[in-house]
Amino acid sequence: MRLLSRMKAALRNLLHKQQVDADLDAEIHSYVDAITEERIAAGVGPVEARRKALAEVGGAEQVKQAVRDRRAGAGIETFWQDVRYALRVLRKSPGFTGVVIATLALGIGANTAIFSLVNAALLQSIPVEHPELLVVLRWSAHNWPHPSGMSSFGDCLMEGKTGFATGCSLPFSLFREVTHRPDLFTSATAFAGPANLDLAGNGQASIAKGELVSGSYFETLGVSPAVGRVLIDGDEKKGASPVAVLDYGYWQSAFGGNPAIVGRAIRLNDVAFTIVGVTDRTFTRLTPGKSVNLYVPLAQMKALGLGWGGSDYDGERWWLTALGRLKPKMKRTQAEAAVNLMFLNATMRGAKPAWKASDDPRVELEPAQNGLAGFRRLLSEPLQLLMAAMCIVLLVACANVAGLMLVRSRSREREMAVRLALGASRSRVMQQVLTESLLLSLAGASLGIVLAYAGAHTLAAFTSENLYQFLQLDVQPDATVLLFTIGMALLTGIAFGLGPAVKGARTRAAMEINRGTMGCVPTPTHVGRRRWPGLGNILVVVQVALSIVMLTGAGLMLRTLEKLRSVDAGFDTRNILLLWIDPTLAGYDNARVQNLYDTMQQKLAALPGVVSASYSSDAMLDGDLWTSGLKVEGQSSSEPVESQMLRVGPRYFETMRLPVMRGRSVNIADVRGGPPVAVVNQAFVQQFLKGRDPIGMHFRSDDKKWMIVGVVRNAKYDSLTDEDKPTAYVPLTEGGAAFELRTAMSPAALIPTMRKTMHDLDQNVPVMRVQTQSETIDRLLFVQRLMEWLLGGFAGLGLGLACIGLYGLLSYEVASRTREIGVRTALGAQRKNVLGLFLRRGLVALLLGSVAGLGSAALVTRLLASMLYGVKPLDPVTFVAVLLLLVGVGLAACFIPASRAMQVDPAVALRYE
Amino acid sequence: MSQNQTKLLQGTLDLLILKAVGDGELHGLGVSRRIEQITRGTFQVKPGSLFPALHRMEEAGWLTPFWGDSENNRRAKYYRRTKAGERQVVLETKQWATIAEAMASALKA
Repeated sequence: MRLLSRMKAALRNLLHKQQVDADLDAEIHSYVDAITEERIAAGVGPVEARRKALAEVGGAEQVKQAVRDRRAGAGIETFWQDVRYALRVLRKSPGFTGVVIATLALGIGANTAIFSLVNAALLQSIPVEHPELLVVLRWSAHNWPHPSGMSSFGDCLMEGKTGFATGCSLPFSLFREVTHRPDLFTSATAFAGPANLDLAGNGQASIAKGELVSGSYFETLGVSPAVGRVLIDGDEKKGASPVAVLDYGYWQSAFGGNPAIVGRAIRLNDVAFTIVGVTDRTFTRLTPGKSVNLYVPLAQMKALGLGWGGSDYDGERWWLTALGRLKPKMKRTQAEAAVNLMFLNATMRGAKPAWKASDDPRVELEPAQNGLAGFRRLLSEPLQLLMAAMCIVLLVACANVAGLMLVRSRSREREMAVRLALGASRSRVMQQVLTESLLLSLAGASLGIVLAYAGAHTLAAFTSENLYQFLQLDVQPDATVLLFTIGMALLTGIAFGLGPAVKGARTRAAMEINRGTMGCVPTPTHVGRRRWPGLGNILVVVQVALSIVMLTGAGLMLRTLEKLRSVDAGFDTRNILLLWIDPTLAGYDNARVQNLYDTMQQKLAALPGVVSASYSSDAMLDGDLWTSGLKVEGQSSSEPVESQMLRVGPRYFETMRLPVMRGRSVNIADVRGGPPVAVVNQAFVQQFLKGRDPIGMHFRSDDKKWMIVGVVRNAKYDSLTDEDKPTAYVPLTEGGAAFELRTAMSPAALIPTMRKTMHDLDQNVPVMRVQTQSETIDRLLFVQRLMEWLLGGFAGLGLGLACIGLYGLLSYEVASRTREIGVRTALGAQRKNVLGLFLRRGLVALLLGSVAGLGSAALVTRLLASMLYGVKPLDPVTFVAVLLLLVGVGLAACFIPASRAMQVDPAVALRYE
Repeated sequence: MSQNQTKLLQGTLDLLILKAVGDGELHGLGVSRRIEQITRGTFQVKPGSLFPALHRMEEAGWLTPFWGDSENNRRAKYYRRTKAGERQVVLETKQWATIAEAMASALKA
């Protein structure tokens, strides 16, 4: 009741301010008049009566102010006054305001954007119910198992070194055997993929990423359908009719979110499938970074023409990742022990044991959040480094804001003193300063939020362009981090804005005001003020040091990229356009594939701007690699040697400009079913055929034998940084291919005519991917480029901020010592002496910061070591270049205020203020 | 007015004002004079305290103001006690009695 009444009053006071004030005025007047009349009635003269009445009231204005201060809503009103005043003050110094807001915005925005990527890539949990109950089955042993083939789809780490091997791939039978335990698991599923499926029946043929999953997949994950139904156990039975479930995002983008999708027929790899439903919107991924367009039952593997599981999906090959959902309250270790027993029983006994007893195989139930790492492995190290870099940027930004606030509040000490002298209370003055700081911080923070959104999306786009598959990342600016950084910015602003204000409020007003007339005679406040420039100096030194650390990191990445880009790949990497097709997905048999490739080669080579065209099973330097164990003729050891392999078409070496050193290259007769021949590289000859004539020698794999007909120069196949490895090029007689077009023009400009040619040839064979060779190399260098890009940006930001800090410090120094400069000049100091005086001050701060910065950089850069190539973490060139850059730019920032000092006119300066 | 009186006044001003306007509406000066009268001259309320208190109590809904003519035919702002004001008098009187009793017994001890 009382609260309501006060709120009503507050509203009235704020909205009808004039009326309320007029009433108050009239009330006080009538009071004064009443007293005056009393006096007159008592016999006092009218003038004297009025004077006495006013004296008794004690000042009509003061009474009115007392009423106003106690009025409901008075706080809101004074706050609003403060805001308007602060806006006026801030508008008066746009430079200061702009720099503080921009600094805060960049600090908050960049930090939040980076963290959002880190969060999406490394931290976010799987978007299903109770993801903590999901476990991945991982085996490890002293050796690889001896199955009849193994594949992994990058969901979970598979690695092997001498004496140790680990992976998650399993054959279907083993998956069934060890996870069929209702006492341990609520449900379990196995999956593999995604496969590139040729999708027809929805406009022009396109490629869809199809994940092969067991019927229990959605039940295990706890994902419900948005439309229709998800897959069920019945879909997995042999002979079940082929069905597919669409991913929600893909349904939206490729099918326009059409709700009448259920029951629609599509063709996948030329097999008729029925769409039965769409997954829930919240289910965006299982493995981070892996995107799936649709889900098909494992049982359709063979029908889709995939050989991943062997002859059928329940064949002998190890290819499935197994995921189980533990029963609630079931201990992971307990389930692990039980599964281990069953696993050993199944793998070590029977006709063909997968391991010897001495291999000591064991199984671990790894939490899915860690186990299904996906691309997290690739990004975790660079992202952690970037987080560290981001923290440095935030520190620099805060130091910068702190320095600016400090300088500014010092230059306003007099204003504060005058206000105090005029009767403002200290708390009132502080409230005013606080309002200003808050306004600045809020403006910076709002701009920062905008930057965070833009930054997060740019980063996600950059990342997904450069990974091997389209990246499905749910990058949202993270609210917690945003609040944290905003809080930090606010605190900095308030602490360094308010601190000096409190001090100013404590100083004796008279002394501050007198300062102007007393000039450079040291007053107590003057002596006390020595401490503040000290703090300002420290802030600048810290900024310089941090900038040096960042610049050094960026410099090292720059040098690394320069070295990597100048690596000789062995072939001419410029002006090559690459396109990938797989006609077998559209139902082509080997003979038709050969005809298509012949025609394509002729038509594409005939395009204007194309010098020559060829094809191979994989593109070089694209992240794909095929290796094989070979037995080379004349070698004594019975163990096969390992060689890189690539299937190529006619004119391949000519197109790639990979020189043939001896013999001949692969020709049209070789791919048309001639006797199997091979071209090997120099490393092959050197390592396996030392001292013998390679031409006419044979080598063989498990099932094939080739005769060497030529030798080519070494070329980089897998990675730019590897040393030259033995490679054998053999004729391409089957399967999909990457076509290489050697162009005489910009390869990207050729894409439209190339696409038209392909469309005219057969529109059922979609072009899966188009890229220039330079782009594939850039993608190979993704981590280094990401680091260079971001570290470079941050370093530039840090450098800019440090310069602003220096500039601000010296500007203040010059402004507050104008009188001193005037005296010095009047007494005969040369202008260049004055310039030197201030430049020296800046130089001292710069050098101190540089020493601290180079020292810290030397400690920190080794963290980058794994990402560097051809450059040592303590590369002297980088360190010296960074030092010169920083001192040069820093001195330029000092020069502006210093030259202003030089131009001080002594006559004006002595009359200053 | 001595320092002691001021302190006492701060805690009791609301109650005194509510009491003063209990017998009928009064304007500012009237309230001041009435308080002086009912406290037998102990408290003299200065306008610097009186007006903020009047306005605050008006906003709290204990007093309701209206403009009327004074005995000298001048326009003046009068205050009248509301129902809420009367409840407040009862409440504060009770509180005050408790304090007074406690103080009296404490001083006797």
